[in-house]
Amino acid sequence: MIGYMISQNVLHRPVRTFITMIAVALEVTLVIIVIGVTSSLLVDSAKRTAGAGADVMVRPPNSSMFLGFTGAPMDVAIDKKLQQLQYVQAVTPVLVQVNSVNSLEMVWGIDPATFTQVSGGFVFYSGRGLQNADDILVDDIYARSHNNVRVGQMLHVLGNDFHVAGIVEHGKGARLMVLLSSLQDKMGASNKATLFFIKCDRSDHSLAALSETEQLLPSYTVTPMKEYVEMFTSSAVPGLSSLRAVMIVIAVSIGFLVIFLSMYTTVNERTREIGVLKSLGASKLYIARIILSETALLCFCGFALGVVLSFVSRVVIRLLFPSLPQALITVDWTVYSGIIAVLGGLLGALYPTWLASRKDPVEALAYE
Amino acid sequence: MEPILKTEDLWKVYRTGKMEVPALQGVNIQIAPGEFVSIMGPSGCGKSTMLHVIGGLARATRGRVLLDGNDLAAMGDSQRTALRRHKVGFVFQKFNLLPTLDAYHNITLAQHIHGNGFDPHRLEMVTSLLGIAGRLKHKPSELSGGEQQRVAIARALIGEPKIVLADEPTGNLDTKSSDTVLGLLRQLNKELGQTIVMITHNPEAAAYGNRVLHMRDGQVVDSVSH
Repeated sequence: MIGYMISQNVLHRPVRTFITMIAVALEVTLVIIVIGVTSSLLVDSAKRTAGAGADVMVRPPNSSMFLGFTGAPMDVAIDKKLQQLQYVQAVTPVLVQVNSVNSLEMVWGIDPATFTQVSGGFVFYSGRGLQNADDILVDDIYARSHNNVRVGQMLHVLGNDFHVAGIVEHGKGARLMVLLSSLQDKMGASNKATLFFIKCDRSDHSLAALSETEQLLPSYTVTPMKEYVEMFTSSAVPGLSSLRAVMIVIAVSIGFLVIFLSMYTTVNERTREIGVLKSLGASKLYIARIILSETALLCFCGFALGVVLSFVSRVVIRLLFPSLPQALITVDWTVYSGIIAVLGGLLGALYPTWLASRKDPVEALAYE
Repeated sequence: MEPILKTEDLWKVYRTGKMEVPALQGVNIQIAPGEFVSIMGPSGCGKSTMLHVIGGLARATRGRVLLDGNDLAAMGDSQRTALRRHKVGFVFQKFNLLPTLDAYHNITLAQHIHGNGFDPHRLEMVTSLLGIAGRLKHKPSELSGGEQQRVAIARALIGEPKIVLADEPTGNLDTKSSDTVLGLLRQLNKELGQTIVMITHNPEAAAYGNRVLHMRDGQVVDSVSH
């Protein structure tokens, strides 16, 4: 009976029901997409670094996991020492610089020969490899998102003009690659590197190679690539957890306020009906059950709509911002967003429910 | 036989700021089981207030209201609600059906609130008696005034209340529908022994009952049996 009553109540005011559901859906979408985009940015960055194909990464002592913040304090001569280790097959130095002109992008300076030994080489969509000091390689995602960059085009990066030598498949490091020597020159970091990638002779020798490297360079940060990827969580990024918390609070507030307004209006509109229910002997709990059940139904339907909207939004974001990685929509956060939506909605309905249950039946029956 | 309803020195005083308005002033009435009592009086004499107090919708300021042996005046809100649920059926002038539910659900809602489960036999008996069995799938907006009031009466009866309280049940009906509704109330009283208290300002409607109580200025001034 209550289920039937609630469904009829909800259908009785279709526009208000729809608006309320949309608001809850937006709340759910906001949570899912914010979490999804921030997660995907983290994961994408880690994956592309891991995509270089190395088994172990060597960084300076006390360096940040975010390569762009590390600078270039290591001597490239270290790679000769690393190459002499028993389980090491190939070593390649990388210089990382952040380009902040026109966009925020990492630029890697690489030694093509040794980088190919570690990574297996690039897959070229067009053009050729790095040969000249002003050559630059761009990945396909960068090319597409920057007005379809073509081979032969000039790009202004790090305050210098580079000539696009080739367009490669994404996923192997930064989106922009130049010659190590060229970047060292331009940045005044002669013979310096940000990190070294190590390729083991066999994948099951990673731990042994790690141990060897740690013994050779005891004060340096030596990390297996698998562990490096797992470090990229929201708690590792200063302020990201706070940002997420703020967005979630904003989302909950939206749901809370919309439901509060909707149910407050509903209770006022149904004053006489509440009086009738009370004249039939409905208890305060019975009336509260109706209001809260109706709220839960609206929130649940809004949640379902929000999940659909999230997937649609994901597609739209990809179309509008092709350089952004696809937002990660996880089951965990989808469920959390539903819980947040329902709890926020029920919280918003508490006051209207209290008002409804306490209405004087005589006054309510006389309400016009 | 013990009366089904008895009031002793019943007072109801409304307080508005510093003003006190006595709507009932020391009312003493007794209604026996199976009686059909009409309450008549001019506007503002306290008829509706009397109905609300004896039905447990409002609390008496002073005095006693014994409904089937239970003193409503001594009860809190939740206790009066529970008593009302099981012992009182209301019929209102404006029908007061829930507009989003069809007739069937308007009637069975009362059973659901009653908490004793759905009784299809009772539903069939009541709807057949009131002549609305074929109209149960219609919402109030699709029913005539007379049909709506019969649905309201069915809702009041479905829980087998000890007493039915009707507040101007024909006030919003045309003459023909009024006669039909009043005739049904009389039939319920005669055939089922249903105790009915009806407020009306219409002497012809009042004549359908066994007894008429006349009220003036919050007091019962006369009681006439037919």
